[in-house]
Amino acid sequence: MKFKTLLMLAALVLFLALPQLITVKYYLHLCILALIWVIMAQGQNLIQGYTGYVSIVQAGFMGIGAYSSALMGSHFGLPVGMTIILAPLVTAVFALVAGYPSLRVKGHYFAIVTLAFNMVIFIVLLNFTHLTNGEAGISGIHKPGYGRGAMIDFYDRQVYYYFVLAIAVLMTTLAAVIVRSRIGQILLAIRQNEDLVASVGVAAWRYKLFAFVISAMFAGLAGALYAHYQSFINPEIFGVAQSMDAILAVIIGGSGTLTGPVIGAFFVVFLPEYLRFADSFRLILYGLILVLATIFMPRGIVGLARDLGTRFGGRK
Amino acid sequence: MMGKSLLTCSVAALLLGTGSLAAQETLKIGVADALTGGAAVYGLPQANSVEMAADEINAAGGISVGDETYMLDVIVYDDKANPTEATNAVRKLIDRDGVKYILGFCCSGATGAIASFIGYEDAVMLVGNAAERSITTQGLTNLVRTRPPADYTGAAAGAFVARQGHKRVAVLGALETSFYASYVEAFEEEFAKSGGEVIAHEVFASKDRDMSPQLTKIRAMDPDALLVVGYVEPAAFAYRQSTELGMDIPRYGFTSGSEEQFLRVATTEQMEGVWDLRPTELTLQSTTDAGLAYHEHYLERFGDAPSPSSPYAYDQAWALKHAIEAAGSVDDTEAVAAALRDLKIFPEAVMQYRPVNGKMFDDNGQAYTANGAFQWQDGHWVFVEELPSDPEAYSEFLSSLN
Repeated sequence: MKFKTLLMLAALVLFLALPQLITVKYYLHLCILALIWVIMAQGQNLIQGYTGYVSIVQAGFMGIGAYSSALMGSHFGLPVGMTIILAPLVTAVFALVAGYPSLRVKGHYFAIVTLAFNMVIFIVLLNFTHLTNGEAGISGIHKPGYGRGAMIDFYDRQVYYYFVLAIAVLMTTLAAVIVRSRIGQILLAIRQNEDLVASVGVAAWRYKLFAFVISAMFAGLAGALYAHYQSFINPEIFGVAQSMDAILAVIIGGSGTLTGPVIGAFFVVFLPEYLRFADSFRLILYGLILVLATIFMPRGIVGLARDLGTRFGGRK
Repeated sequence: MMGKSLLTCSVAALLLGTGSLAAQETLKIGVADALTGGAAVYGLPQANSVEMAADEINAAGGISVGDETYMLDVIVYDDKANPTEATNAVRKLIDRDGVKYILGFCCSGATGAIASFIGYEDAVMLVGNAAERSITTQGLTNLVRTRPPADYTGAAAGAFVARQGHKRVAVLGALETSFYASYVEAFEEEFAKSGGEVIAHEVFASKDRDMSPQLTKIRAMDPDALLVVGYVEPAAFAYRQSTELGMDIPRYGFTSGSEEQFLRVATTEQMEGVWDLRPTELTLQSTTDAGLAYHEHYLERFGDAPSPSSPYAYDQAWALKHAIEAAGSVDDTEAVAAALRDLKIFPEAVMQYRPVNGKMFDDNGQAYTANGAFQWQDGHWVFVEELPSDPEAYSEFLSSLN
């Protein structure tokens, strides 16, 4: 068995055993948030890491997923399981509309256009108060299942952890399938040289749009899981700052790798919490660590691990 | 003989000392509030207030429960007024630090996130400055709030402005923030009863600093008066820029900012004549002896004057002390939450609460202060008059929303 496969199995066993190892439930709460971030970061990685387009709208799409799932439940009485499945589809529609014009520009221009989309989404969530309840947000969002005390009680954080873990594994596997398919290879080729891809007769824009929409669907799903976990959403958490965190999760973990977003997601959730001891210097310290990590680990933690593996173990 | 007596006395003293040490325990209480970011103007003074109150309670002998005395130990976490951060902070307080009593909460979004799950926790939540109405309409028995909802004050403000003879008022404010919007909504409703009309609803965001486009538009509409609602800094910029644009009309507001906070942005000349229509919070001209002492202690300890809304958090700590003593337990949170609902207004309270059925908090866990009209005169907020408010009627209305 390959070393990489063994490592992945070990990681999966660790994730399965984690709730039994954690004695303080607060850390389980952070793990759930981190797993939701894994889904979001895997989506971000598809467009940013594999296609080479830095999108700054991931949190906005997460917001669309969160609000659509919560509103479909409260307005149409749909079961939570169904709204969680529908949320990425709703997000995909918005991503299609946003992606078509956005992907006509490249590089920094694309980043700026997506940033503008995130701002528009944020403003809509804030001001369409009759639907979103504005800054006050939506509270009392139901959890999946049959309520508190049911046989499978999603109010129990351990149960929700396994639920989100299963979906995170599924979405990571889906990302791996996409990356290893012909589509994934074309996305990689677009990242390397888009003009060359177009010159051999491949309609690059279709693949870019595909990556953008799929990326948004990951975010929409993450948003739905977040909404039903927290039971509360308001626009604050779907702003540009959160989109920046998604980009950072990919960069810090390792852009263009499948393991990178997993590590990066845990990094952006846990690090600010561990830095609470620094009080008001916390965010300065967080920013400093991120700057240093980006400068000295441009290929992220996965890249660093590979370099170390090559140096000390001769493994490539 | 003398040596033996000395030994006996020493042993007795040691035993007594040990006895008193054994009876003295520590009670950890938590604060989750905005210590950084735009909302820190409200959150940081609240966190300071709780720490100050805890020290005063400890200095006065702590909290007495049966034979035991509890000294308060305050753990403070920054929630940046962000719902996710607030959830993380409160989860940490409850799950890791073992805290059962959580105070602070200056901002509605973050508070709403905690309120969505606190009902399932073995904990009591005491909300301060967060003014969003729905926080106390969810039927949460383990939540109380010291600040009245924004619309309770907005209605009183609308009646006051109408009494000044204005008919056409323009509103400029953080109307995307729900509690400011609900203040304006209640203001408008009450103002309309006297034949008044709000002719403009111009919006600024909490980070905006240039309001001249909105003010220029308002000036062209020729209103009788201007109403500014929002966080201190943007509101101060709005007042400053209104004078720079030569708008010579009465200016009313809902900000709860201190003199120092306004003077960081506007001059006292630019502020002259501005009204603040808000709960009768800490203003030296209107406060009680407890308020004066609070102001003095805060200034001495932190080197800065307290913000008018900061005593909401100070009062939380004292309310908690009295409730725990009444409940006779620090572990039974249900009993403490019930004792809070049963609490009468205590002498240490800085805010001027108006009781409902003789109690500080109504059945919804909501406390009510008087509302007041304050005017900026010669560099100071001067209390001019109390605004007519009916906490009993509002409490009934709030109950009807449950």
